[in-house]
Amino acid sequence: MRLLLVEDYRPLNQSLTKGLNEAGFAVDSTRDGKEGLWYAMSNEYDVIILDIMLPGMDGLEILKKIRSRGKKSHVLILTAKDTLEDRVAGLDLGADDYLVKPFAFEELVARVRALLRRSYGEKNPCVRVRDLKIDLNTKRVWRGREEITLTPREYALLEYLAMRAGQTISRTDIWEHIYEFRSSASSNVVDVYIGYLRRKLDRSNKPDLIRTVRGLGYRLGAGS
Amino acid sequence: MKRSLRRRLLAGIIGGILLLLAVFSLLVYVVIRGALLRQFDESLASVAQVLAASVELDGNDVELEFEARQMPEFQDVERPTRYQFWDANGAVVAKSPLSSTQELRRPETTLKNLVFQTSRDESGQPQRSVGLKFAPRIADSDETQQGRQKDEELFTLVVARDASDLHSQLGLLRWLLVNASAAVVILSLIFAAVVVRQGLHPLNSIAAEIAAISEENLATRIASENVPAEVIPIKNRLNELLCRLEASFKKERRFNADIAHELRTPLAGIRSTIEVALARNRDPVEYRQALEDCLEIAGSMQAVVGNLLMLTRLEARQISLETDRIRLAGFIDSAWQPFSDKAMDRNITFDNRIEPDVTFESDRANLGTVLSNVLCNAVEYVDDSGRIWVTARSADDSIEIAVSNTGCHLTSEQVSQVFDCFWRVDSSRSDTGAHCGLGLALVQRLVGALGGRAAAVTEPGGIFSIRLILPASP
Repeated sequence: MRLLLVEDYRPLNQSLTKGLNEAGFAVDSTRDGKEGLWYAMSNEYDVIILDIMLPGMDGLEILKKIRSRGKKSHVLILTAKDTLEDRVAGLDLGADDYLVKPFAFEELVARVRALLRRSYGEKNPCVRVRDLKIDLNTKRVWRGREEITLTPREYALLEYLAMRAGQTISRTDIWEHIYEFRSSASSNVVDVYIGYLRRKLDRSNKPDLIRTVRGLGYRLGAGS
Repeated sequence: MKRSLRRRLLAGIIGGILLLLAVFSLLVYVVIRGALLRQFDESLASVAQVLAASVELDGNDVELEFEARQMPEFQDVERPTRYQFWDANGAVVAKSPLSSTQELRRPETTLKNLVFQTSRDESGQPQRSVGLKFAPRIADSDETQQGRQKDEELFTLVVARDASDLHSQLGLLRWLLVNASAAVVILSLIFAAVVVRQGLHPLNSIAAEIAAISEENLATRIASENVPAEVIPIKNRLNELLCRLEASFKKERRFNADIAHELRTPLAGIRSTIEVALARNRDPVEYRQALEDCLEIAGSMQAVVGNLLMLTRLEARQISLETDRIRLAGFIDSAWQPFSDKAMDRNITFDNRIEPDVTFESDRANLGTVLSNVLCNAVEYVDDSGRIWVTARSADDSIEIAVSNTGCHLTSEQVSQVFDCFWRVDSSRSDTGAHCGLGLALVQRLVGALGGRAAAVTEPGGIFSIRLILPASP
């Protein structure tokens, strides 16, 4: 899942980027408001984590702009302002969640996960596709009773496919949601990772889970 | 004045009424008593005149006309009227039948002169007497001895009448006056108490309204409609006071919110740095990096707290000043030292244009803090490859130090805000939060404490200057 972090306070920006990366998200981060707006407008982010007091452009201004241009990304406001008016103003402008500094990193991650589930219409943190089970919180995967160990990148790919289970997803789409902006990887790596995933998930006595839809992309689970 | 207003008003009203009543009653008593006495005396005098006229001198015999002796006054046993005559030699010539046992006193008087006296008779009853000297009529002559008045031929007459009626009348009058006064005082006390309570009611209602105002609802004002004219100024002043109180509470709340905000962001930085570092096993370099980041944040938080503490002390006027002669040029150079590396990195030119012989007297430590903050601000906001320069101008009793930098984009409204606490150009902070918008606020207050003032000005060409006008010697 791909996130954008717009936070001007350097230590916070650095540690959050690192922590979110390690939590399996593809993270683009910036410390400038205008740059943040550019990122938000030119990419498809699952969640945007937005500070309010920013140099260049105010966080609420960014929020207003991306909503007015029809961007559907979920926005989590991260700020030291905690008055009722501030919170209401943020939520009224189209923010989906609000977290007051200082916060526990785990809570931030949990809220991001909740927003992700919401964006894919998935309320249950435990996703099932046929006999495949994915625990979105602990990031553990089972096929039947057997637990399968995945690398963070493999897991991120499977999670994205599972969130949109039954839909055909293009390579570019997958690539956009799994890799951060600065990544040197091209969409071809998607094929490579799909190969890795198949090797780990498929069992000879069970039907294949990931199907290749020629010319369009990939699909996990149901649908013919 | 601790005494209650109600008691003072009551005491004033009752005291006034009491005094007026006393004076009035006394006046009434004196006038009525005078009138009664005069009436009594006139009647006594007329009896005396009649008696005197009824005395006839026949040779050496003294005769009293019968009619006079038969006058009803002399017959009344209960309230007897008595008389007694003395001849010129002091011998009793005649006395009334009822005054058998008592001798009346012979008064010293002169012809035609009536002498009134109050005394008591043998039974202790009050009586009033009139004494006079007269020349008795000569028998068979209608003339009195007017023509030949000689002291040795003048008779003395005293007529005394029981005065207990008069005294009891006067006693009744006294009783009436005292009791009526007492009743008036008691009634007016009750009445005044009610009036005073009614009169003071607006004060109580205002007091109740004030009592209902707490820290949370300082926006309320004393409404009290229909307050008396005298209370309106009090009400208005109280409302003004509430206005000021509300403003200062608002300011304080804002300040506290700002402090909380300024401390929350670095705290969030520390927390997430630590949490992320602890999320998994890392190599020592990463731990070291995390610790260094936290240390840096802690350092900047310490600076914020230090500035806040200094601001608080300045507001409470708790700083001590030690005057010292300062050589300005060298002082500026040493204040610049901590910033020179950073300036070099950004290719900033620093120019100290102060003449080496400029000296003045001020507090070295506090002036150092002022200059350090002003220079820090200049380094922070100067454009890359820009210039910072310091000039000074001496007047008779003051010195003006100006720290200027290029690359300023502030509007005039923003310039007017630079000395506000927590104000920053774009409400955002720099790298680590070391510049949280307290520096110039501190400068302004410190310069004030040093007896001078600070001003911010912009000039065409993006030049921003902080001017410090300080007394040449405090």
